[in-house]
Amino acid sequence: MMETEYGPGRTIPHPVMFRVLDSEAEDTTIPELKVEHKSEFAYYPGCIDYYDVEMQFSHMNYGDTNHGIIFDSSIKLLRAVGIQPMILDRSFMKCCGHDQLWQGKVDVFERMRDYNTKIIKMLGVKTFITSCAEGYRTFKLDYKLDGVRVVHITQFLYERGLRIPPQPETAKKIRVAFQDPCRSGRQMPLDPVYEEPRELVKRVDNAELVELKTFRADAQCCGVAQMMYCNDKTKGLTASRMDEASDVGADYLLVACPKCLTHFGCLHHENKWKPGEERYAFKVMDVTQFLAERLPGDYPTGSNIDAKRKEPPLPGRRG
Amino acid sequence: MEIERVKGKIMEGQPGFPRQYGPSRSDHQPGIPFFPQETARDFVLIFLLTALLFFLSAFVTPFLGPARSPQISELIVPDWYLLFSWGLLKVADVFPQFVIGAGTPLKTDFNAAFWGDLLSGIPVIFLLILPFIDRGREARPAKSPVRSAFGVAFLLAWIFTASLYSIREVVAQRWQTPNGSPLINDTAMKWFFVIPPVLVGLTSYIGLRRLGYQPMRKWLFPYVAGLTAIVVVQAAGIFLIPGWLGPEVRPYVIQLGIFLLVLIVPMLVASVAVFAVPESQARKWVVRSGVAAFVVFGALVVFFMNSGRPNHVAFTWVLSVLYPNMNTLVLMPMFAMLTAYMGVRRPYSTYEYLLNECYQCGKCHTVCPVTKVEDDALGGLNLVYNTFKKQHDGVPLWTCLACDACSAVCPLDIQYSDYILEERAKVHARMAADGGGKE
Repeated sequence: MMETEYGPGRTIPHPVMFRVLDSEAEDTTIPELKVEHKSEFAYYPGCIDYYDVEMQFSHMNYGDTNHGIIFDSSIKLLRAVGIQPMILDRSFMKCCGHDQLWQGKVDVFERMRDYNTKIIKMLGVKTFITSCAEGYRTFKLDYKLDGVRVVHITQFLYERGLRIPPQPETAKKIRVAFQDPCRSGRQMPLDPVYEEPRELVKRVDNAELVELKTFRADAQCCGVAQMMYCNDKTKGLTASRMDEASDVGADYLLVACPKCLTHFGCLHHENKWKPGEERYAFKVMDVTQFLAERLPGDYPTGSNIDAKRKEPPLPGRRG
Repeated sequence: MEIERVKGKIMEGQPGFPRQYGPSRSDHQPGIPFFPQETARDFVLIFLLTALLFFLSAFVTPFLGPARSPQISELIVPDWYLLFSWGLLKVADVFPQFVIGAGTPLKTDFNAAFWGDLLSGIPVIFLLILPFIDRGREARPAKSPVRSAFGVAFLLAWIFTASLYSIREVVAQRWQTPNGSPLINDTAMKWFFVIPPVLVGLTSYIGLRRLGYQPMRKWLFPYVAGLTAIVVVQAAGIFLIPGWLGPEVRPYVIQLGIFLLVLIVPMLVASVAVFAVPESQARKWVVRSGVAAFVVFGALVVFFMNSGRPNHVAFTWVLSVLYPNMNTLVLMPMFAMLTAYMGVRRPYSTYEYLLNECYQCGKCHTVCPVTKVEDDALGGLNLVYNTFKKQHDGVPLWTCLACDACSAVCPLDIQYSDYILEERAKVHARMAADGGGKE
């Protein structure tokens, strides 16, 4: 091991979530599954349903960042392109293992991988849709899912021709910036997700796509990877990335990775604590949420967002 | 389609936007052209050298001594670097000798001299055309295993065995059976031209592919099991076919059996290990059985040599069976064990294999987000190079975001995040080996 002044004990906080996930991986018995809607398409929401709880439990986020809405929006968007996917819920799937792999816990990752691979094979999935950049990379590169096509949801919506209806006349012009996740961009040189989310955003007729100072393969990281640690230096990186969005005058900063949403949302909310010093006068949200909000109709899964809510949500998924 | 149209608008890779990185980049800057400039200079040097040689041979004649002849010296050998050529001339009589077009002006005599000339020209011709058939950019053996294995087998092993054959008389005189016949006979030495180079080549290929992180089971099992089968069949033949063992060796069958057992058992263990055992276990099986066989063989040799005359004689007669069949009975076990070890061993670490391609351009440093905020990295550090040198790189192991910004700009496509993955896994493995880490 190289000489570092930072040992793993100091810099990894090991939040409760990882204890839970690691202990979950110990149980590898395959459950009996009753499938209601058999489909060759499967949607894997990833660990987003953990995040809302975990962020509030570990005092990382009291703000209005809503991870669960990514799931609802993804289902709404997939319905809009005529797909009713099997939902690979966390009740029987395990975490994809990305964070465990990059934290060095290879044995935990391998247990998760073998378990998930068995379930995916058992259900006969042909197209595996994920709304998470880390999941996209992990399922595509680190798993060996022969015969299963792994796509990011923006790729799938693009190739299925998602149509966004014209926005009302009263809607004002908005400037939208997109943060390229490192996992689905640079780390996937053979199949990067650069153009598809941008093309989808351009289909919203009152949205103007603006590029940040660094984008595509040069895009700067959101500041934290594999949920390893959070300190003033990572905050600095996150802040510099969000400053880029301020500089281009964006109204929305879109992300395609729940982790980016976590860290941007955290800093965004922290900044709001000081009224009058607001630097970030834009909204941070996932690209699926942005698109789903511009589609007519309700969330088929029953949204967990309340537009009229002013107070921060209480701990718990439904707030 | 639409996405193609969008991709057409990207300026990367277009004139003025040279953003091509990695080994497949096509924007090479041409240097000085080869044809008029470089060749002109080279021809001047070549002509100068030739003129110098003509001058020296015309006016400064060296004294070379009397020519060797069988009357003066019994053993005629050239200088050591030409031994291979001499060996190839000696072995040329294995080829069929005939005459084409006898009685015509085009009469060609395919005799031993002709075949010898042809054979000894092959290594030189191969060296001459090597730059033309091998156009790859990779200079490191592990990245071009076919070429390297061919080179090792042909240029090292083949030339070595050819050199060995040129002194076959010395070998025949030096090692003899108790009844005065040569231990290593001419047939065994002729097989040296074929079997050791092939073994060396295949072993090098498997070992080099393994260095490049390839799982080599598909190659390893047929190879090791095939060698085992050959050795087992020959050993069985020695005992079972009447007339194979001479009457002098018959009393020493038990000793011969012990030696053959020591040679065969580790091969069988290795065959089973590379076929059926998981890799970490196979590694242990192969290494332990190989080392054990080596130690036992050495102990047997020492025992038979030093425990009285009857045992010494017995050992000499055992050798009289092993040596003529050296290509199979001795070399094949050795190469089977060596290959099994090289094929299942841990590959190079990422350090050695990937990071040492760095030529310190420093692009990784300029893009690394962590070096922008780490106080002690705000200087002219070079991420990949300093990591390779195991110096402080400004991005400690647990601070790296693995965002791959460095790999995206690396001209040599060094995957820094692979190194991070590997090192972090090592730390956790070490913590688990210590009985769980501090959390």
